Amino acid sequence: MRIEHWLYTIPLRLRSLFRRNQVEQDLNDELQYHLDHKTEQYISRGLSPAEARRTALRDLDGLTQRKEECRDMRRVNFIENLSQDLHYTLRTLARAPGFTLVMVLTLALAIGANSAIFSVIRGVMLRHLPYPNQDRLVRFFLTSVEYPKFPINAFDFLDFRARNRSFETMALMSRSDLQLSGVGEPQRLMAFRATAGYFHTLGILPQRGRDFDRSDELPGHERVAIVSDRLWRTRFHADPNILGAKIRLDARAFTVIGVMPEQMRHPGNEYRPIPYGDNVDLWWPFTFEGKDQRGNHYSEGIARLKPGVSVAAALAEMNSIMAQLAREHPDGDGGWHVLVIPLYTEIVGSNQRTLLVLLGAVGLVLLIACANAANLLLARAASRRREIAVRKALGAARSRLIRQMLTESTVLSIFGGLGAALIAVFGVKALVAMLPADFPRVNDIHVDFSVFAFTLLIALATGLLFGLAPALQSSRADINQNLREGARGSTGSARHLRLRNLLVTSEVTLACVLLIGAGLLLRSFVNLIQTDPGFRAERVLTASVALPNETYKDGPSILRFYNLLLARLQSLPAVHASGIGSDLPWTGYDDNVGGFVIEGKKPPPHENFHARYHMASPDYFRALGIPLVSGRFFNDDDNMKGHPVLIINRAMAKRYWPGENVIGRRVNFFEDNPKPDDKNWCTIVGVVGDIKDTPQKAGAEPAFWWSFPQTPFGFPSLMITVRANTDPASLVSAVRSSIQEIDPTLALADVRLMQQIAQANLSTPRVIVTLVALFAVLAITLAAIGTYGVISYSVSQRMQEFGMRVALGAKPWDVIRLVLSQGMKLATLGVVIGVFCALALARVLSNLLYGVSATDPATFAIVALLALAIAALACYLPARRATTADPIVALRAE
Amino acid sequence: MSKPSDLVQGTLHLLILKILALEPLNGWSISQRLTQVSGDVLQVSDGSLYPALHKLEQEGWITAEWKPSENNRRAKFYSLTRLGRKQLEKEAADWTRLSQAISHVVSLKKTAPEKA
Repeated sequence: MRIEHWLYTIPLRLRSLFRRNQVEQDLNDELQYHLDHKTEQYISRGLSPAEARRTALRDLDGLTQRKEECRDMRRVNFIENLSQDLHYTLRTLARAPGFTLVMVLTLALAIGANSAIFSVIRGVMLRHLPYPNQDRLVRFFLTSVEYPKFPINAFDFLDFRARNRSFETMALMSRSDLQLSGVGEPQRLMAFRATAGYFHTLGILPQRGRDFDRSDELPGHERVAIVSDRLWRTRFHADPNILGAKIRLDARAFTVIGVMPEQMRHPGNEYRPIPYGDNVDLWWPFTFEGKDQRGNHYSEGIARLKPGVSVAAALAEMNSIMAQLAREHPDGDGGWHVLVIPLYTEIVGSNQRTLLVLLGAVGLVLLIACANAANLLLARAASRRREIAVRKALGAARSRLIRQMLTESTVLSIFGGLGAALIAVFGVKALVAMLPADFPRVNDIHVDFSVFAFTLLIALATGLLFGLAPALQSSRADINQNLREGARGSTGSARHLRLRNLLVTSEVTLACVLLIGAGLLLRSFVNLIQTDPGFRAERVLTASVALPNETYKDGPSILRFYNLLLARLQSLPAVHASGIGSDLPWTGYDDNVGGFVIEGKKPPPHENFHARYHMASPDYFRALGIPLVSGRFFNDDDNMKGHPVLIINRAMAKRYWPGENVIGRRVNFFEDNPKPDDKNWCTIVGVVGDIKDTPQKAGAEPAFWWSFPQTPFGFPSLMITVRANTDPASLVSAVRSSIQEIDPTLALADVRLMQQIAQANLSTPRVIVTLVALFAVLAITLAAIGTYGVISYSVSQRMQEFGMRVALGAKPWDVIRLVLSQGMKLATLGVVIGVFCALALARVLSNLLYGVSATDPATFAIVALLALAIAALACYLPARRATTADPIVALRAE
Repeated sequence: MSKPSDLVQGTLHLLILKILALEPLNGWSISQRLTQVSGDVLQVSDGSLYPALHKLEQEGWITAEWKPSENNRRAKFYSLTRLGRKQLEKEAADWTRLSQAISHVVSLKKTAPEKA
């Protein structure tokens, strides 16, 4: 039935579409035939031929209207009209290239900015993590009053694993890099120790070989390894017989038991952090060594919820287990609670707000661009009012006019969308280059089909949004009035003007909100880069080296290596100072020691004395340019034979010895109730300046440094810091060869300039401030165009009035003032509303700001003045034109 | 679109289909036939005839063919398709049902209201 229907209709539709002339001719002939016969009939009834024809026509009740009705029946009218509208639109747009260019360009910029930010958001926030049922993955940590987020104790983990009912699987991981040697150049591998079930939890199993199992957790069973696909390909030539092969890691033989697939991603970790991504080279078993103790915390938990178990339920269960453990092991496990955080939140969470702020900013830009486009269209519609009136008089239905005008706006927005797609492609590239390498999921940001779909959608929606108001407005135009006013142009109807004023005011409002945001972020960024970091980054080279336990078994052998190395480095003519330390500023190091004894002090109730612990060689501070506040730096006498000494930072001095001289005070890390002559007392010999964990932190944490030879325990890797007299990058090969001359099996890793580290810490705020400033400039430019458009239009409508005024003796300045006041009324209203909106939105920005309040009066005032100044400028140009009004012309016209 | 004001809505289609079921005709002849068969009761304006014809053609109920007419001028002749025949049956049945129902209502006698 349906098919039979199509049999008749499809050829008809095709004919109507593609043989339009023939179809039209047929229609004419058919009606003509009817008219001729009818005329004849009337003549035969005795009417004169002319009268007969007129009567026949009248019977048809309007020939053109009937024809149009017949056309409507063809069902392809929609397409036909569309193609007509398109032709018409392209023609009219081509005739106004300036208008078209401004429209398309502003739309392209606004939509393109949205697409670019959308691709970032899609990559970072919308795309699922690449783990099966990723929404069931959680990370767990400990939390206490002093430490909001703390690693897990390994023996606590065993109890969690045995007692919980919420999780399908649960695992521990702990960063523990290894040095690969024996195949080519030695290389430091990013490695993690992981318990059985780690890969199972993530849901990604080895492509070859096996996963860790419980037997791998037994003490002494750690010498097996699962390698990443990348390592397997780059270092082992994708050897299919890799399983069972022995590789040398940290100078010990490990057996390869598995190769992970290419899609394995490290879930990101907190302690000695490696961000989420394809960056871990190797995993080896986490073994439970030694006797049960509950004091050490250095491993991180990850778990997979059973289907249907909520995070809250799991959290409650874990906390009840923790409470049991606290009863069983009051010394180590008291005071701790468990933190269960969805993996997604853990990876994306901190940057969500940043991205949402950016999204908000581009959204505002798009709104302004819409208002602007609507405004320009309205201005155009005003000058086309006569044309519209004529079309209406000729019988164009209102819906038809609206459709035609919407076609125009949609065409503009689609052109804008095309431009936007280009902008998005390049913008995203630039954006990704600007983002710090450890920005979560930065590698997942791509411009793909969905981004283009988004662009198209936004473009179409934009076209409708900015086209609808002008289309409705101008199609309502009163035919009679417009035809009568004719070519002289009319003063816009009150409603028309009101709409345009509203648009301009809201443009200024939105631009003002963005400008205030940009101003705040800019001030905050200036604060950030002007704040003394506490070190001097220029001309400092840093690198890390790790000594395998196997070859460097004891303190003296390690010390010997570093003394040799420092001596070599110091002998290089380009080296100003060189040192060894446990870590570098601003690299995420946050190792804490708590519960030490300070001579003569008692900790506040329910609290420990605690501080970040570090280790440093004598010239470490000099090499990094960390200033000495009082006392002295370490020297060569602060060795194993010497008296134990300590350097602390100013924050620690202030925290535990407020207002006192701390040089000579003593701290004990090993005895709970040491006697005054205990040999473990460390004496403070110096106080150095503070360095915050990250530049955005409000203050530095209390911290101290052990003298390198006196450090009570080994560090897995140490940082070399070299301050050069020249370009530090030129020293890299000299440092590497200095190391390999001492021990050719050692790898130099993490070679970075201190300036790079400093820059990387500022790159996220830099990206935000750059983008928001860019968007704000775009916004205020659009608002200026909008203001200019409205004022300039109203001036052109009022030229006669101005001419009259000049004729009656008005000075140019009077005219300028008249025009300016009209524009500034709108702008001032916009700025005032904008300031209030910004105040209301201040909360959104507050934790992205550093050293400036989200309601900073200076920023608000400056931005308000700036916006007004720009608006004044935008009004001034048309105002100037108003002064050129010719009184003669005005008088003649009246 | 102007509606045939003097005709019950939709019946124009039925009339055209019925007329064409007898023989293929051109638009002019259909208009003549309409006046002829219905007398002056059903005034079908020329204006509404052609849009209706085009509508029926686009629905696939009638099909058109250009043929020489009586005085050798080319005219567009419409004829009923198989689908059109079915449609005619359906519309005719609908019409009969509707008109019966209406005449039933119209011929109702006034009855005394029941007492409560």
